[in-house]
Amino acid sequence: MRLVIERGELLRALGHVTSVVERRTTIPILSNVLLKASGKKLEFKATDLEREVMEEAAADVSASGAITVPAHVLHDIVRKLPDGSQVEIKRDGEKDRVTITSGQSIFALQALPPEDFPDLAAGDLGTTFELKANDLRRLLDKTRFAISTEETRYYLNGIYLHVAGEAKKKMLRAVATDGHRLAQVELDLPKGADGMPGVIVPRKTVHELHRLLEASSGNVSVSVNDSKVRFVAGSVTLVSKLIDGTFPDYARVIPQNNDKELVLEKASFTSAVDRVSTIASERGRAVKLNIAPEKLVLSVNNPEGGSATEEIAVDYDSEALEIGFNARYLLDIAGQMEGEEAHFFLADPGSPTMIRDAGDEAALYVLMPMRV
Amino acid sequence: MAIRQLPPQTVNRIAAGEVIERPASVVKELVENAIDAGARDVEVVTVNGGLSLIRVTDNGRGMSQDDLALCVERHATSKLADDDLSTISTLGFRGEALPSIGSVAHLSIVTAQQAGSGFEIVVDRGRKEGLKPAASNVGTKVEVRDLFSATPARLKFVKSERSENQAINEIMKRIAMAHPDIAFTVTTGQRTALALPKSGVSGDDLLARLGRIMGKDFLNDAIPVDAATEAATVRGFIGLPTLNRADASQQFLFVNGRPVKDKLLFGSVRAAYGDLLPRGRSPMLALFVDVAPTDVDVNVHPAKVEVRFRDAGRVRGLLISAMRAALGEAGHQASAFGGVKTIDTLASSITPSTANASYAPGTAANGNRPIYPARPMRGGLAEDLQAPFDAVTTPSANADATLDPIPADDMRCPLGAARAQLHETYIVAQTENSVVIVDQHAAHERLVYERMKKALGNGGVTRQGLLIPEIIELDDDDAQALADRSSELAELGLVVEAFGQGAIAVREVPALLGDCDIKGLVQDLADEIRSNGQSFALKDKLEAVCSRMACHGSVRAGRRLTPQEMNALLRDMEATPYSGQCNHGRPTYVELKLTDIERLFGRS
Repeated sequence: MRLVIERGELLRALGHVTSVVERRTTIPILSNVLLKASGKKLEFKATDLEREVMEEAAADVSASGAITVPAHVLHDIVRKLPDGSQVEIKRDGEKDRVTITSGQSIFALQALPPEDFPDLAAGDLGTTFELKANDLRRLLDKTRFAISTEETRYYLNGIYLHVAGEAKKKMLRAVATDGHRLAQVELDLPKGADGMPGVIVPRKTVHELHRLLEASSGNVSVSVNDSKVRFVAGSVTLVSKLIDGTFPDYARVIPQNNDKELVLEKASFTSAVDRVSTIASERGRAVKLNIAPEKLVLSVNNPEGGSATEEIAVDYDSEALEIGFNARYLLDIAGQMEGEEAHFFLADPGSPTMIRDAGDEAALYVLMPMRV
Repeated sequence: MAIRQLPPQTVNRIAAGEVIERPASVVKELVENAIDAGARDVEVVTVNGGLSLIRVTDNGRGMSQDDLALCVERHATSKLADDDLSTISTLGFRGEALPSIGSVAHLSIVTAQQAGSGFEIVVDRGRKEGLKPAASNVGTKVEVRDLFSATPARLKFVKSERSENQAINEIMKRIAMAHPDIAFTVTTGQRTALALPKSGVSGDDLLARLGRIMGKDFLNDAIPVDAATEAATVRGFIGLPTLNRADASQQFLFVNGRPVKDKLLFGSVRAAYGDLLPRGRSPMLALFVDVAPTDVDVNVHPAKVEVRFRDAGRVRGLLISAMRAALGEAGHQASAFGGVKTIDTLASSITPSTANASYAPGTAANGNRPIYPARPMRGGLAEDLQAPFDAVTTPSANADATLDPIPADDMRCPLGAARAQLHETYIVAQTENSVVIVDQHAAHERLVYERMKKALGNGGVTRQGLLIPEIIELDDDDAQALADRSSELAELGLVVEAFGQGAIAVREVPALLGDCDIKGLVQDLADEIRSNGQSFALKDKLEAVCSRMACHGSVRAGRRLTPQEMNALLRDMEATPYSGQCNHGRPTYVELKLTDIERLFGRS
C-alpha cells in the first residue's frame, strides 16, 4: 500500500472519524483508524463498537491496500504538519509498520492488521428518507440538553426520534428527558419516513452527528430499522446501534390544561436568573419565581451565602403564584430559544410547567418545579 | 416405630445441647450462678480448654443441704421467686444449667452456708451420687470434669484447646465488665488469663476495669456516656472515633448486667458515629443499658445472648442520642493514640545503641500495632526524573509566626498558638504543655463539611419533582416499610408513596443528588430498613455529596497560610464538633505531649 495525499484533505477526513475513537480502550485495535486505499481515494473508518464513522478523501494511490494505525497519533501528526504539504503513507509488503513522510519529517507507526478491524455490518436498513442537514441539526440541538446521564435509566440516555401527529399532518418528532425536564421539537415528516420505527438514538451518537453536521449544508440521508441507524451527509457516513428500550409515554407529562400564561422577555429573564443564582453555591439550588400581575420577582435564598432578588416586568394577568425552579434548567431551556419572548404555561407550584418559544412554534419544553 | 416418652437422661442431654454448646458456656452458666449467689470473689480454673476440668469457686451465700440435693434436678431454681417470667432480675432463671452439665460430664458441687459445715454432691453423667458432708468455706465450689464424655458427638465438634480458652476468656471478659464490684481470677491451663481486683461500680472505677479488659488505648481515649429517660438509663464509655478497629468485636452491650449481642447496638453505633469513622472501621465501646425487668424479655435465646425490648425504638433512640451527645461534647478531640504512635515512630527511628533502654518498653506498652503504618519519607521514593534548580527551592516554613510574641491567651487554648507552617501542609502549634501538628486540608475540609451539614439541617433539603414518577417494584413488606416512613424520607428530600401491591412511586428526589440512580437508592434504603430497622443510605448519599463539595471548597495542602489564618483555623476547630477527624475518619491533628517528647530525649 502506498499513496500520497494532500494534508488538508487528510486532516478533514481524520477530524471527522477520530472523535468516535475512545482514548482508552481494552481492545487495542479500537484505538486505530482503518485506512483503505483503492482507485483514486483513501477511505477511513473508526469505531467504538457502538457506532462507526466512515469518510473518504481524494488521494494519489500508487499501490492499493489497507492497514490500521493509531487514530489519535495520526491525527496529531497531521495537525502539526505545515499547511499545504503533501503526505505520503506507505506500508511495505506485509510489515506491521506504516511510514508517514512529509517534507523532512518521517514517522513510523505501529500498525495492526485490517482484517481484525470490527465491522458493524449494517446492510440494508429498511426505511430511508432524506432531510435537510440544518433541520436535523435543529432537532438535535434543541433537545440534546435534556438527555439523561444516569446510566440505570438507559432508555433515557438518548433522543427519541419518531413519527407523531395525526394522519393529515404527520411530523418527525425528537424528544429527550432526564425525568426533571423534557424537550420536544418536531418538523414536517420528510417523504419516505412514514414507516420508520420509533428509535432512541444514543447520546454519544447525537453528539457525533451534531458535530459532523456542522460542516454540512446539503441533505442528509437517514436509514433506520429497529436496531441501527445510518446517517449519510456528503462523504461522511455514521452508523450507530440504537438503545434497546422503550421510551416512556412522554405525552402524559406534557400539561394540557395549564391556563396561567406568563409572557416574558427572554434576554432580561435569562440575565436575571443568571445574576440571582450567583448567590446559590451548591448545585441544584432553586430560584424562586414570585409571579404577580405584570411583575415577576426572582429570588434565591442561600442560608450560608445570603440572598438575591430581582424584579422584571412581564405580561401576566392570572392569580399570583410562587414556584421554584432549578436555575440551571431554566438557563438550559432559555439557551435553546430563538424568539425574543418565552411563554410559560403554569398550573400550580407542584405541577409541571410548559414553556414555549415564540420564535419556534415546533419546540416545546416541560419543566418540573422544585420545592424548598 | 411406636412413639414413646424419652427417658429423663436423654431429655437432659438434649437440653444440654442447647444450653451447653462448648466449654465456655459451662463457665458462663457457673459464673452467673456465682454472681446470682452474691459472690464478691470468683475464681475460674480450666484445664485443657475446659474439657478436663472447669472449676468455679465463689464466696457467695452457698446452699443448704436440701437445696444442694434439689439444684441438680431439672427445672429446679431458687431464682424465679413467684414464677413470674416478666420480672426476672437475676442472670439465670431456667433451672437448666446444672442438670444439663451433670448429664454430659462429671459434676461435683461443694457448698457451705457456714464455714466448716458443708456438703458435697456428685452427678456422674446423669447419675446422681449420694450427698455427703464435706469441709468447705462459705460459698460454693463447682467442678466439672470430663465435659462431653457422655456425648461423644459433641466432643468431636470441640475446637482446639487454644480457641476454647479464647472463648472462655471472651465470656469472662464480658461478665467481668458488667460486674466491676466482683473480683475475678481466671486461669486457663498454666496461664493467669485475667486477674481483676474488686472496684467501685461507677465512673473512673468502671473505666479502670474496662481499661484492664479492653486495653490501655481505650482507657486514654474513652469518653463517658450517661443518659436516662423514664424508661431506661444508659451509661458506660465509648471510644473516640480516631480509635477504631477493623471489626465490631470491641463493642460491648450489657442489658441489666447481662452481656448481649444485639443488632440494635450495631445499628445505633453506626447511626451515632456515622461519618466520623472511615468506611469499614468500628469504634470501641462498652455500654450498660438498664431497663425495668418488665420491659425486656430475656427468655428469647437458650444462652440468653439476645434479648427483646418492649420498646426497641426508644432504647435505640436513647443509645444514639447519648452517644451523639458524648461525641459532640468531645468536640475536636482526636485520639491520644495518634500522639503515642507518632512518638513510637520517632522512637523506632533511633538506633538501638543510642536509645534509652529503660524508655523503649514504655512506649510499646499497649502492644497494639499502629493502624496506619508510618509513611515512608519522600527521600525513600525514587528521585524525580526532572531535577529542580537547587537555588530557587525555598523552605516553606513561615518565619512570620515566630516573629511576634506568642499571645498567652492562644497558648491556653486546647490547640494552642500557631507557630509555623511546614511543607505548606502542616500547622505546628504550641500549647502550654504540648506540640500540636495539624493537617490543614483535612481540618479545614471537616470544618466546611460540618457547616454544610448544618445548613442542610437548617435550610431543609430542596426537592426536585420528577416529570415521570419512578415506579419501583419491591418486596411487599419493603414497599410497605418505605411507605410507612414516607414523612421521614420527605424531610431528606425523597417523596415516595405506596403504589399498589409491592411497588412504590418516587415523586420527588433531593435536588442535591441531581440525575441519580433512584432505583438503586430506594433498594438500598429498603435493604437497610429491613436489616437494621432504620436507614442511613439517603443521609449517607447527601452527606457524601456535601463531603465532595467540602473537599473542593477547602484550603488545600500546599497553600501558604498567614499566622492569623492558622490561628483562626485552630480556634474554629476547637469550636466545631467532630473536627478531630477528617471526613474519611483520619485524625486532623496529633498532639505530642511535652512529657513524651522529653522521654524521647531521655530527659524524664
